[in-house]
Amino acid sequence: MEKLIEILEELQPEVDYESCENLVDGRYLDSLTILALISEIENNFGVLVPAVEIIPSNFNSVKKIWELIERLKEEE
Amino acid sequence: MSYFNIIYIFAFLPVVIILYNIIPKKLRPVLLLIASYLFFFYISGKLIIFLILSSLSIYFSALLMKKIDKVKEEKITDLESEEKRVVKEKYKRLKRTVLVVTILFNLSFLFFFKYLNFFGSIVNGILDILKINYSFKLIKLLAPIGISFYTLQAISYLVDVYNGKVEASDSLLKVLLYLSFFPIIMEGPITRFSSVCDSLLKGEKTTYNSICLGYQRILFGMFKKFVIADRLNIFVKLTFGNYRSYSSLVLALGAIFYTILLYMEFSGTMDVVIGSAEIFNIKLEENFKAPFFSKNISEFWSRWHISLGLWLKNYIFYPVSMSKFVKKITAWFRKLFGSRVATQVMGSMALFAVWSLNGLWHGAGWTFVVFGYYHLILILLGNIFEPTVIKVCKKLKINRDNKFYKFLRIIKTCCLVVIGELIFRAPSLSVAFGMLGKIFTKFSLKGFSSEVLSLGLDVCDFLVVILGVVVVFVVSLLNEKGKNVRERISQKNIFVRWAFYYALILGIILLGAYGPGYAPVDPIYADF
Repeated sequence: MEKLIEILEELQPEVDYESCENLVDGRYLDSLTILALISEIENNFGVLVPAVEIIPSNFNSVKKIWELIERLKEEE
Repeated sequence: MSYFNIIYIFAFLPVVIILYNIIPKKLRPVLLLIASYLFFFYISGKLIIFLILSSLSIYFSALLMKKIDKVKEEKITDLESEEKRVVKEKYKRLKRTVLVVTILFNLSFLFFFKYLNFFGSIVNGILDILKINYSFKLIKLLAPIGISFYTLQAISYLVDVYNGKVEASDSLLKVLLYLSFFPIIMEGPITRFSSVCDSLLKGEKTTYNSICLGYQRILFGMFKKFVIADRLNIFVKLTFGNYRSYSSLVLALGAIFYTILLYMEFSGTMDVVIGSAEIFNIKLEENFKAPFFSKNISEFWSRWHISLGLWLKNYIFYPVSMSKFVKKITAWFRKLFGSRVATQVMGSMALFAVWSLNGLWHGAGWTFVVFGYYHLILILLGNIFEPTVIKVCKKLKINRDNKFYKFLRIIKTCCLVVIGELIFRAPSLSVAFGMLGKIFTKFSLKGFSSEVLSLGLDVCDFLVVILGVVVVFVVSLLNEKGKNVRERISQKNIFVRWAFYYALILGIILLGAYGPGYAPVDPIYADF
């Protein structure tokens, strides 16, 4: 999870990732940042994120993103 | 019959409401379906067959995909992992074939009715350049009403079933009603099956509250349309119809008025649409969220025609970004130029697909294509230069959260939007560029006031427009600040509440632009 926060902070600083629960709905992460985040996730965690998983509820908080990564790992 | 037609608001809708309340709960969704088909038939006649064909195609295809999944699950239960993978892949291919064939079947109607002439004229142009003595005969076809909207809904249902995000519905009634529900059939919002499927079949009785709130919303939509949009239409028609006769400032004013007109007409229609559905306790998503408070074009498109933006994001932007082809190209760019450039390339390729389709979806014509690419260029420039702007602001110690800075960004966005809408409204590209050329190169204040007053609107008309825009602006501003105006009004006592309603009704009756000298706006988005 620390690695994930590190990636997020590099992509979009000035957001309190520990507490923020509306990263997409609150427009902290725009479409382009999400694309960059997915690339980093795929490179760092060895999972493939299908387009169908790119929905706000999967990216609204660090916890949710981490759950998505774990789920994709299991499915693979 | 448009949603602003008196027959719709004061005859069709009330009759449906009365019948809806007197029949048994079970039959209410059937009544909504009959009402929807009657509404469609009244406008498009026999073309209703295409709506029914689309509905049946997605209903049976979704069930077929469900069946394929079921068979797959049965087959893989006792298999080893490698065999499992092979069988899974086989059934996935089968499912994908069903999806693609059904999408193509639905798109073929859209292409036939909407784009055949456009692409036919392009082919004729190419044949002419190649000096081939042949040309395709172009015929003007009347498309089924709302085909651009219900086809996107059909595709979204199929893709969601394919991806396992929605379960294929066994109820034919539900699917038929989802695609044809009369408040949304003509101009959207483009609604996802998952967000309305349950409420469509619930058949909850209408209440005093739901009728009051619904009609309150409808009245606000009528106010926007009759008081503002219809009043500005004559000015817009004249300026866009013969731009050579008018000065640059009048043309600029014509473009600004068209932008206001379009917003009032389309968002007003959405008020009628959402209000109509609200009466039957069916909650539709908002299609506008104060778009003129946007600080850049990307934000504008997340507040204007939201349902189209979301559809394009979910079914074009992300799938294209995540496609193997785009990923391959992105990987190559990453190696050469690093992550930041690679992400820009990935996003740009997906945005190219989005804005090509956005332009063409709005209409089969070059002005719409250029309208799409105009926004693409603005968004790409915004993406590329944003980091530099942030750096410059930091160096110059400009606080980007400063209210004045935000205000300047909002004004800049509004100006860019007006230019886009000018291209959108112009009858041809030569007119669009002619108008823009004149606006930016021949500035003159000479005779401006007398010229403005010679275009169908007098001083009183302008005052009414200003008053109307101020009312809409204040409501938008309060909503933007999280103060829900409708909730606040509904919390007031009965006298205050009805004072608001009567003010709105009187406003529409007394200030509406009716009669000779005015030209009511035709439903703009219904033509898409």
